[in-house]
Amino acid sequence: MTEPELPEREVLAAEYVLGLLDAEARLNARGLMASDAAFAASVAYWEDRLAPLLGAIPPAAPGSDVWERIQAALDQNDLADEPVIEVLALRRRVRQWKIATGFAAAAAVVLAFLALPATRNPGPDALPAQQIATADPLVASIPIGDTPLRLGVTYLPDREEMLVSASGLTADGVHDHELWLVTPGEDAKSLGVVVPGEERRMSVDEALAQRIEAGAELVLTREPLGGAVPGTDAGPMVASGKLQAART
Amino acid sequence: MSEPDPTLNNADLARAQLREAMAQLASGDRGALERIYQATSAKLFGICLRILGDRGEAEDALQDVYVSLWQRAKNYDPERGSPISWLAVFARNRAVDRLRKGKVRSGAVAVDEAAGIPDRRPLADAVLESSERSARVHHCIGTLEERQQDAIRTAFFEGTTYAELAEKRGVPLGTMKSWVRRGLARLKRCLEE
Repeated sequence: MTEPELPEREVLAAEYVLGLLDAEARLNARGLMASDAAFAASVAYWEDRLAPLLGAIPPAAPGSDVWERIQAALDQNDLADEPVIEVLALRRRVRQWKIATGFAAAAAVVLAFLALPATRNPGPDALPAQQIATADPLVASIPIGDTPLRLGVTYLPDREEMLVSASGLTADGVHDHELWLVTPGEDAKSLGVVVPGEERRMSVDEALAQRIEAGAELVLTREPLGGAVPGTDAGPMVASGKLQAART
Repeated sequence: MSEPDPTLNNADLARAQLREAMAQLASGDRGALERIYQATSAKLFGICLRILGDRGEAEDALQDVYVSLWQRAKNYDPERGSPISWLAVFARNRAVDRLRKGKVRSGAVAVDEAAGIPDRRPLADAVLESSERSARVHHCIGTLEERQQDAIRTAFFEGTTYAELAEKRGVPLGTMKSWVRRGLARLKRCLEE
C-alpha cells in the first residue's frame, strides 16, 4: 500500500524528532525552529506524540556524584551570571498586582519578572522637612528569595528617612538593587538604590512620605549598576514586603 | 497543607508534585531542582544511557540536562503538557546532540546496563505510561510495516541517522528514506484518526 508523503517540512520535523538527521542537518533544523513557527509547531507535534514511547526505556541509577557535579556547575554559573528567571504563568499572575489590593501572593512571586513602570525619585535634596513628631516608626523585614537572608527597612516618619539594612545582599559587580514603593493604581516610585552589605539612610521626599503608611508595599528589583534607567521598565523583582507599625 | 485527595492515584500525585516543583524552579529555588532530580534522574539517565550507550557520556549528558533546566526553567510552559514528558524529550534531545558531536560512537548500546532499578521504580515512569496518548502511539506504530516500525523505533531509541540505519540494514540510503517517510505518513494518519 502506498501512502501519500507528508509535506516536506513536516517530514523534516519528524526526522529531526526521531534523530535521523546528521549533525549539520540537525543544526539546520534547530535554526528553522527558531525562525519558522509552523515548523516549530510540527516539531512540538511529533515530540508530544512520540514522547510516550520513552516510557518503555527502563530507568537506571546515575552515579551518586552527578548531583554534586550539577550543584558545582550551578555555583559556577551563579558567579558568572545570575540567571534571570521567569515563567509564563507566574508572569501573568504578577501582572495583576496593580489591581490586586493585598499582594498577598508576594512570597510566591519572588524572583518572577515584574515590569514596573519606573518613576524616579526626584532626589534627596528636593525635600523640605516636615515634622510628624508623633508618628511611630514603620518596619519591614523582607525575605530574599528562599534564602534565610532578609532586607531590613525602617521608616522614620518624623524624619522622613528610611533606614535600609542590606547586609543580606552581596554585590556581584554587575547589578544594583533598587527599592520601590508600590501604591495601588499608581506607578511604582523609586526609593533609591540599596547598597549591598550595608545599612543605609535614605531621605524620602514629602510627596512620597505622605504615601508611606502601615501596609505600604515595598518591592526590591535587580537593576543595572546605578539603578533603573528613567523611562524604562524596572528590572526583575527579587523580593517584596509590607511596612508595618513597629512594636516597641 | 491539606490532606492529599484520596482519589488521586500515584501517577496523578507525582505529576502534581513535579508540576509544583517546576513552578518553584522558575522562581530560582534550588531545593525544587533537587526534588526534580530525585524524582526524575533515574528515568532521564535511562534515556541518556539508551541513546549514548556509555555510562560516563550518559552522566555528562544528565548533568547537562539539569544545568540547562535550571538556566532555562522559563522555557517550560506549564500549560503545554506533562512535565515528565517534557523532561524526557528534553533529555533525549540533549543525548542525541551529544551523539552528533561525535564524542561517542553510536551503536554501542549497552541496553543491559540500563536494566533498571528493581525496587524503586520512579513514579515518573507511571506518569509517562499512563496517558491515552501512549496507547495511541503504540497502537499506531504497530500498524506500520515491519521494516518501517524497525527503522522508526531504531532511530527513536538509538538516535541513529539515516546513513547509519541504511548501513545497518544493508539497504541503499534512498530506500531507507523512502521506508521511513512512508511510515511517517501512515503514522501521522493513524495518530489523527
